[in-house]
Amino acid sequence: MKTKTESKRQAIIQAAAEVFREVGFERASMSDIRERIGGSKATLYNYFPSKEKLFFEVMHQAKELELEAITGELDADADDLRRELVRFGQKFMTVLYSADAIAVRHLAIAESRHSDIGRLSFEQGTVPIEKRVAEFLRKVMKRGALRTADPKIAAMHLLSLLESEVLQRVLLGVIESVKPEALTGAVRRAVEVFLSGYERS
Amino acid sequence: MSKNDSKRQAILGSAYRLFRAQGFDGTSMADITSQVGGSKATLYSHFPSKEELFVECMMAALENYMSDTLKHLDASRSDPEAALRNFGASVLNFICSAEQVEVRRLMIAEASRSGTGKLFFDKLTALRAQISSFLDACMASGLLRLDDPDLAADHLGALLEAEVLEPLLLNVRDAAPDEMETALAARRAVAAFLRAYAPTDPSTKAAAGPDAHLRRLPPHEL
Repeated sequence: MKTKTESKRQAIIQAAAEVFREVGFERASMSDIRERIGGSKATLYNYFPSKEKLFFEVMHQAKELELEAITGELDADADDLRRELVRFGQKFMTVLYSADAIAVRHLAIAESRHSDIGRLSFEQGTVPIEKRVAEFLRKVMKRGALRTADPKIAAMHLLSLLESEVLQRVLLGVIESVKPEALTGAVRRAVEVFLSGYERS
Repeated sequence: MSKNDSKRQAILGSAYRLFRAQGFDGTSMADITSQVGGSKATLYSHFPSKEELFVECMMAALENYMSDTLKHLDASRSDPEAALRNFGASVLNFICSAEQVEVRRLMIAEASRSGTGKLFFDKLTALRAQISSFLDACMASGLLRLDDPDLAADHLGALLEAEVLEPLLLNVRDAAPDEMETALAARRAVAAFLRAYAPTDPSTKAAAGPDAHLRRLPPHEL
């Protein structure tokens, strides 16, 4: 078997992204993707054993970079903590609730027993995000702007609260995606609850 | 239990086993009939469609659990805080069981394929309404500040699930958390919830009612 290269891998991801965008996940096939990049089906499968894995990689790459940037921007020294959290929550939720990100999340849960995309999604998505938010909260607690608590748990509470009004609707497909402007209210309400749950007594 | 009820229960039980073993697409109404016995007409007289039967049997355990548990949840009792803590721990323990995690995963997986999402959502909304009405009573009695009780129920649910649910749904850990772990997670969640929804200081309560901007958006605006 030939050695795998990163450039070939990226070329496949690129081609797959185009196919998924054009025809959607359900209708896209591994053959469509192979046709676009040329080469044999065996080569393609050597890089990505299934359409699900490839889809996950495509979406995950795009979404993860954005979410990483957004959590990286959190400023523990911001004068107005409420404003900082609302700003973060709005950006974070806008990416997390884009149609693509929802599709990946849905797939990760639905397929988690048959493939390792659930684990990948958790280890490469959830964990690093929680870590960054926890690190931010640890600093905020240290400077006394929130009560002292386990920052890791506070981070999980904050992230879960942000999604509380929309997660179920979206995972059950009751709504397909959420408009950024519609998230504003949910984010503000979640931040209020988080702040009063963690304010210094 | 009447004959009709026991037939219904038998159908739900067989359907549940078949759907879990073979998935929604892999299970037909004929498969279910041949398991339970009787005619297809009888099956359809109980459940008008495969979708409805699927949703009913997947939700049955959760609905039974909730109606049993909520009976004991009474806001007029001497210590509603403790009641809320116990309720939180019990609910979390239940939804983290291997079986309930699998049901939830199946529900999410099938929601888009079979168009059952809306049916599941309506049932979950009805269950939430029961929790809201307890929270509403807590607001009326002054344990919690006045706010939208449905919103408070969503926040309580999110806090309860925050620590444990996602790794289970994503199959990152296969063992359900033990009672100690869920009890601690529930305690932290309920503590944060009670602080967040604590009654406001009476001296600053002049402008009664929650801020307009804090009201929940109607579902159609989402």
